[in-house]
Order: sequence, then C-alpha cells, then structure tokens
Amino acid sequence: MAINRGEVIGAMSKVQAIGNAEGLIPAYNVFVTQLPGKFWNGFAERLTRSVDQDSLEAAEWLLVNAAQECGYHTGYGIITSDEWKAVVAPQIQNQAEDTLHGAFAVFTAWGWAKSEIVELVAGEKMVVRAYDYYESDGVTYGQASRPSAYMIRGVCAAFMDLAYGGEYDPTGQTGLRTFQCQQTKGIECGDEYGEFVVTRTAG
Amino acid sequence: MPVIQETELRLERRFDPRPCRHFLNGEVYVLHCHHYATLYSQLADDCGMLDGRKLLAEVAEDTFFDELGNYYDKHGVTDTADRIALAEQYYAVTGLGQMHVRCAGPAGAEVELSHSHVDEGWIKKWGQRDKPVNFITQGYIAGALAAIFGRPRRSYVVVETESLVKGDERSRFQAVSM
Repeated sequence: MAINRGEVIGAMSKVQAIGNAEGLIPAYNVFVTQLPGKFWNGFAERLTRSVDQDSLEAAEWLLVNAAQECGYHTGYGIITSDEWKAVVAPQIQNQAEDTLHGAFAVFTAWGWAKSEIVELVAGEKMVVRAYDYYESDGVTYGQASRPSAYMIRGVCAAFMDLAYGGEYDPTGQTGLRTFQCQQTKGIECGDEYGEFVVTRTAG
Repeated sequence: MPVIQETELRLERRFDPRPCRHFLNGEVYVLHCHHYATLYSQLADDCGMLDGRKLLAEVAEDTFFDELGNYYDKHGVTDTADRIALAEQYYAVTGLGQMHVRCAGPAGAEVELSHSHVDEGWIKKWGQRDKPVNFITQGYIAGALAAIFGRPRRSYVVVETESLVKGDERSRFQAVSM
C-alpha cells in the first residue's frame, strides 16, 4: 500500500463543511449536511426496533441501500475532488487498490468510522475493520443481538462498486450494487471492532 | 412592534484524533449527502411497516430539541427573538437550508424555507413530486418551538402547507400548540 494513512487523515480531517448564504453545503457534486450522529442513529434504531421480525431484514436493507447510494455518489465526488487530488492522488501507485485505501483514510478523517482495509482480493473481496464508529453509540449498556452499522455496510460496498464496478454512472443504473456487504462483528455486539466483508453481488 | 435582536451562533469545532470523530459544540457530528437524507425520507414516506414519516419527524424533533435547548441553557439565551435567530442559524449551519420564522408565539408559528437540503436534494435526485417530503424539518420546527418556548417535546403539531419540492416558491409550515 502506497497510501500514508496518517498523512491523509491529518490533512483531510481539517476540511470543514461550511454552509453558504442559502444554508446549503454544496460539495463533491452533492449537497451535504452536518448533523448529530444521534439523529441518524435514532432513525435507524427506532425503525429496526419497531418493525416486526418478518420486516426487519427489509428495513435493514433499505438503510444499507441509502448508505450505498450515498457512498457511491459522494465517494465519486471525493475521489475526483481538489482535496483528493492534492493529498491522496500523488500517493497512488496501484489505481484501484490505493484508491480504496485512500478512501478509507478519508472515511476515517471525516468521522464516519475509524476504519481500514485488512484484506483485499482485487475485484472480488474486501474485509474492513472499524475500531470506532458512531453507529455503535446506540448501545451504551450490554451487547446487541444484531449488528447495526448499516451506514458502514453500505459505504464499504459502494467503495468496491467505485473501484471494480465499472465506470461511474451518475444515474446509478449501472456500477452501483455490484457488491454487497455483510457485517460479521460489531462493537455494538460486544466485539472489539466492527468487521465488514464485501463480496460481489450474486447474479 | 417586536424587537429583533441579532445573536451569532457560537460554534466550537473539534476533531479528536484518537477515535477520529468530529465534535460540534461537544456533540458527535457527521457529514452526509443529499442521497442519504432523501433516501431516508423516501424510506420514511414509503414505509409500509409503520408510520415512517412520524418516526423520522419525531427523531428530528427529539434531536434538535436537545441541541437547541442545551445551547440556550449553556449560553444563557432567554430572549425569544434571540432563540429564534439562533434556531434559524443552526438550521443553516447544519446545511439543512435557509429558514425564516415569520411569526411565532407559544400557541404556534409560521415558518418558511427559501432553500432546503431535503427538497432541493430530492429534486436533484428524482425531480419534483406532488406531496411534501420534508419530515426532518417538520420535526426540527416542533423541537425548536418547544425549546424556544420552554415546552416539553410533542407540544406542537407541524404541517407543511407549501413545498419547494412541489415547485412552490418556498416551503411553508404551520405549527400549532397541542
């Protein structure tokens, strides 16, 4: 890996989202919000704990899907941004793999999850570990029976879509959802870290 | 004639390199894009499993009731006009849009948006639609009014009567005390 994670995190963590005169934050080809983590956690938590068991997987899929679309479009905006070109791009030697490592350094720097790739099979599989993430904050006592880092699941899959899913498609019709992600460990479940396994979508 | 006082929102930003988290006024904050907010809103709107619109609005109400209420307490903001000005500024700082409280009192309020992350994000992603979709702002207004007037949560019912997403010139919300 050619990416200097510490350097990327140090530089990219200083990037601040500033609202314009219209109260909007246009950046990376999208509109951005900066909201309390507990807002996003609150919706996911209340939704998944309110639906019946038969609907739980569908609800979880919808939460993951929201993150996968977000990660795909915003991720593309990030890896084509001036900040990326200034900080990360000069370190890239192997395009797909180093882009992925750089993307997770940015993912870490912006406070989504302190995460890194621990296994990567080019074009096929990626395993990510997250040592701290806001989605685990919902559990402040005991251990959850199911993992709940839906945002990280979606974004991990989206980053593989961007790396190996073909040319970026702004409509999301192609390229998106070529990969899927399962969470195999979670801090919210009592594990030391969250673990996310990304593989190609079947069919 | 009410006196309008200008109060500037104080923001303390901090990045903690150990967990790699960003804090705004002591709270964990995260960046997300309009795809995320609109897909959450769509999920809330389409949810056949439960009343997702109410759920999303209530989460927003609870979150922003706490955020604004804590801010008012910490900084000793007691004047209604100051509290409203800060609620409008906070809405803009978070990137949710440009909010203008036309009038407000303990019994209710009229609130307008000239710009909206959810509405404009929805239009950017899918185009216009014929029904309001800004459940997050419904909750924001309910939480803000409760914090401004020292009322408990769920004190206000908020209805969106005009919407940017529908092609209206602005979004308009009517709030009434329960």
